[in-house]
Amino acid sequence: MKNIKFVILLYSSLILTISCEDVIDVDVQNANTRLVVEASLDWEKGTTGNTQTIHLRTSTPFFESDSNTSVTGAIVNVTDMDSGTEFLFVDENNGSYTTNEFEPILGHTYELEIAYNGEIITAQETLNAVPDLNIIGQSREDGFNEDDLEVNMKIQDPAGEGNSYLFKFRKQGELLPYFEEFDDEFVNGNEVDWYFEIGEDEETEKKEAFQPGDTVEINFYAISPEYLSYLRILINQIGGVGIFDSIPVEVKGNCVNETNPENYAYGYFRVTQVVKASYSFE
Amino acid sequence: MKTNNKEGFFDQIKRYLLLFSFLIAYISYGQESFTLNGSITDSTNGETLFGASVFLEGTTIGAITNEYGFYSLTAPKGNYTLLISYMGYNSNKRELILDSNQKLDFELVEYSTELKEVVVTADEPEMAVLRKPEMSVSKMNIATVKQMPVVLGEVDILKSLQMLPGVTNNGEGSGGLHVRGGAQDQNLVLLDEAIIYNTSHLFGFFSVFNADAIKDMKLYKGGIPARFGGRVSSVLDVRQKDGNNKNFALTGGIGAISSRLAAEGPIFNDKGSFLVAGRTSYAHLFLMLAGEKNRASFYDLNLKTNYEINENNKLFLSGYFGRDVLKFGDVFDSSYGNSSGNLRWNHIFNERLFSNMSAIYGRYDYNIGFNSEDFEWLASIDNYNLKYDLKYYFNDSFKLDFGASAIYYEFDPGRLEPTSNESAINPLKLDMKKALESGLYVNAEHKLTDKLSAQYGLRFSLFNRMGGQALNDYENNLPVVYNSRLGIYEEGNVLGETNYEKGNSIETFHNWEPRASLAYQLNENSSVKAGFSRAAQYIHLLSNTTSVTPVDVWTPSGRYVKPQLSNQYALGYFRNFKDKKYSMEVEGYYKTVDNRIDYIDGSELIGQEAIETQILNGESRAYGLELLVRKNEGKLTGWLAYTLSKSEQRTLGGSAGGLGINAGEWYRTPYDRTHDISLAASYYLNEKWSFGGNLVFQTGRPVTYPNGQYTYEDISVASYAPRNSDRLPAYHRLDLSLNYKPNKKPDAAWKGEWVLGIYNVYNRKNAASISFGQNRETGANEATRTAIFGIVPSLTYNFKF
Repeated sequence: MKNIKFVILLYSSLILTISCEDVIDVDVQNANTRLVVEASLDWEKGTTGNTQTIHLRTSTPFFESDSNTSVTGAIVNVTDMDSGTEFLFVDENNGSYTTNEFEPILGHTYELEIAYNGEIITAQETLNAVPDLNIIGQSREDGFNEDDLEVNMKIQDPAGEGNSYLFKFRKQGELLPYFEEFDDEFVNGNEVDWYFEIGEDEETEKKEAFQPGDTVEINFYAISPEYLSYLRILINQIGGVGIFDSIPVEVKGNCVNETNPENYAYGYFRVTQVVKASYSFE
Repeated sequence: MKTNNKEGFFDQIKRYLLLFSFLIAYISYGQESFTLNGSITDSTNGETLFGASVFLEGTTIGAITNEYGFYSLTAPKGNYTLLISYMGYNSNKRELILDSNQKLDFELVEYSTELKEVVVTADEPEMAVLRKPEMSVSKMNIATVKQMPVVLGEVDILKSLQMLPGVTNNGEGSGGLHVRGGAQDQNLVLLDEAIIYNTSHLFGFFSVFNADAIKDMKLYKGGIPARFGGRVSSVLDVRQKDGNNKNFALTGGIGAISSRLAAEGPIFNDKGSFLVAGRTSYAHLFLMLAGEKNRASFYDLNLKTNYEINENNKLFLSGYFGRDVLKFGDVFDSSYGNSSGNLRWNHIFNERLFSNMSAIYGRYDYNIGFNSEDFEWLASIDNYNLKYDLKYYFNDSFKLDFGASAIYYEFDPGRLEPTSNESAINPLKLDMKKALESGLYVNAEHKLTDKLSAQYGLRFSLFNRMGGQALNDYENNLPVVYNSRLGIYEEGNVLGETNYEKGNSIETFHNWEPRASLAYQLNENSSVKAGFSRAAQYIHLLSNTTSVTPVDVWTPSGRYVKPQLSNQYALGYFRNFKDKKYSMEVEGYYKTVDNRIDYIDGSELIGQEAIETQILNGESRAYGLELLVRKNEGKLTGWLAYTLSKSEQRTLGGSAGGLGINAGEWYRTPYDRTHDISLAASYYLNEKWSFGGNLVFQTGRPVTYPNGQYTYEDISVASYAPRNSDRLPAYHRLDLSLNYKPNKKPDAAWKGEWVLGIYNVYNRKNAASISFGQNRETGANEATRTAIFGIVPSLTYNFKF
């Protein structure tokens, strides 16, 4: 279900209809720099999943865009806590840490350990199975806007409760992806219809709806409920918050600084199973 | 506060009753005196006048009419000159030989237009204002409201109230009021005594109050009389017109966005009158102008009728029905609105004892249809309210109000209904919540000496959260727990649930709410006043967004949500200058509220069965200084209002653990405004032309901006600063209006008027919000300002027939 919060977005869109928007200069506060962990161990269904990369960076002031944020010199390990197997991620000296030996096993819990600047950062995550994603075609009338193209999908949610999912869509040629998340709270055990449509942004023209010939890449992840809670806040805040959105907050992930808890890291350690697909509009 | 000691509770009641019987014995000393009572009405339409005064000239004996135009005064036997007056009306004088109890009704004639401008907040003789202990009250005459410049050509009493000290809104595009640093749900808004839960149409662009159907309104910012209860911040008491009982009359207006029409006249062989008023926005025009497929419109209907059974018994029936209808393409539609009805019976027992009984129904509901996915989401709140209020006029120096009320609530926090068999959505219904809120009160108006008068009272409120549902039980009784490892608040572990049978209480609360104020007249032109009030609030609006939205739901106190309790202290100085041409009011206040909830990071409130897992109990405090200087007479009238204030809250982790929201530090509420300046002026040139102007300046609203960013999953993620630690840029604007009355003949039946208004004359782009995000093309972070109203001219034609 594209949830009810979406309606609040719509209420805002009504206000936007009569309002005017412009980009302005604003002074913002600057917080201390933190370590950012992008440890997304995604196992594509049907592959071995042996090759995995973890990225370490630092945070920057909000309007700073050109600084080098790569973090090198850290020691990065992932341990399968059910089997005891340890995977060492090799420092590539560009902020990336890579292994070719990772063994994803459904239901297993993994622990990340990063040693950096004399501090130890850890996180745990469990790997869940992803159901198949069936792309059933395209339409115009099923989405939010009748004039715009959307791609239609079907997912069979398994019987047990608490399944959580993430979609990452990217229109080929575009810089930024789109994210959508959901869980089976209202649809447990059902066949779930999902569509993805890009709402045309008429005023700024920064977003353009799909046209025939466009290709969209779709990644569909089974994620943990904890990661879903994290993503809900994060996705809500992408692109900014308006007056009918929740008051924005600092998003806190699962990477804990064992040495100095106040110096926690941003980002998340996730272990997921993913199906990847793409669709070309006709 | 929990009723765990029934004996102690009844002992307390007895003690208070005893106290009052002593008081009554003290003031009922014998003297040969007689009582004069009756009603005061407008001579042209028969509307009763609220707040008109009857004074015995040369004495300090007098009375003010109540909401139903009734007065009663008692004086020693003798010969007097009666002075009957009401702001905006010609005074009446009349000789009186008081040698028996008498009933005298008066009709007052409205001033000719020239002086009609003289209607600001003071509508009682200035001496009475100085002497009466009533403070922190703003009363506005509808005529004043109609003269102020407005946006989109629609007269709006809520926007006019925001021009007074201590009253703000949450920015353009948001409804409701914030009074003395309080939240929107802390205001009790009454329309003919019925509770209105959402005061705005179209997200605050219009208020639900149709100015053509409204007689008067009174906003209590503090010093709330004991007869009101249930909210901790303020009471807005709005009363509808009764309807012209002399002639049939039509009034209306045609504007660019909306139009209105009201009909009124006598019925039941002149034993009563009626009023029907309707208003609607032109269907969809609002948004179609912008070429959008989205549509928004509203309409509302006000009804009122009354019937005089005999001179001591009168019945009133009033109703309101309003609705907003929104359509988002063909995919979603939504509608929401209030409806209410009230049947009242005025009964005069004798010349000193007046009573009113009311049976009131109120409802707010909304629905959202998801047409593409074949389901509907609905939620509502219903209440049934029975009230009995009495006023006893003991003698000139002592009047007693007392009464009781009971409100039965049904909260339907939401249900999901598939609208076809093909829907992939499973039906869902959140548990209905039920509660009974009752109150008993007594309040005395007591003139202690010629210079010192007091108003003191006590309200006893009792809240019963009723059974008939199950509630979760949590590990360690903690619905929210602090995850110290991750540094976040999370839902507690559910151990099971307790089922509360119908007929059993989940929880009961009671509170004693003392209210008192004192006025001391320093000299003929000035007085000082002091007040204290305590109020309890048992129902809460759940909203974690910057602005309250139509889909926010109310929830009752119970096992996990405690009643809010406020204490307010106020001190004021009141002075008239230059033969009462000018007046000045200065008030300082300090207010605390216990059990003010706030929401944990990432809280989900819509469709949430276990609200308790999303909130933490906190507290709030607000203090400020308010100044109001008015010019009451002459061609140029108006006022300058200035408020210096602070409003903060603190939410500790408490038993959930952790330091709490914002690390347990005090943080600004969204309604904190350091400076708030309003200047309202109107200039009467001649019978044809008059002008109005508003100038507003406010410190920017507290908001939360990012204080850093980082790259994660190919995007730039903003990391936000502590809650409300930034501010929007200052808000200011100027509005102007021009009124033109082409009709020269005073006797002509048709009276028309053109109103040209210009809102935000210098086209200031006031930020309603500033949002932070990544430019989708360049990838650079940017701040985007949303400004709702630039310069908005409007033209309205109003008529009376």
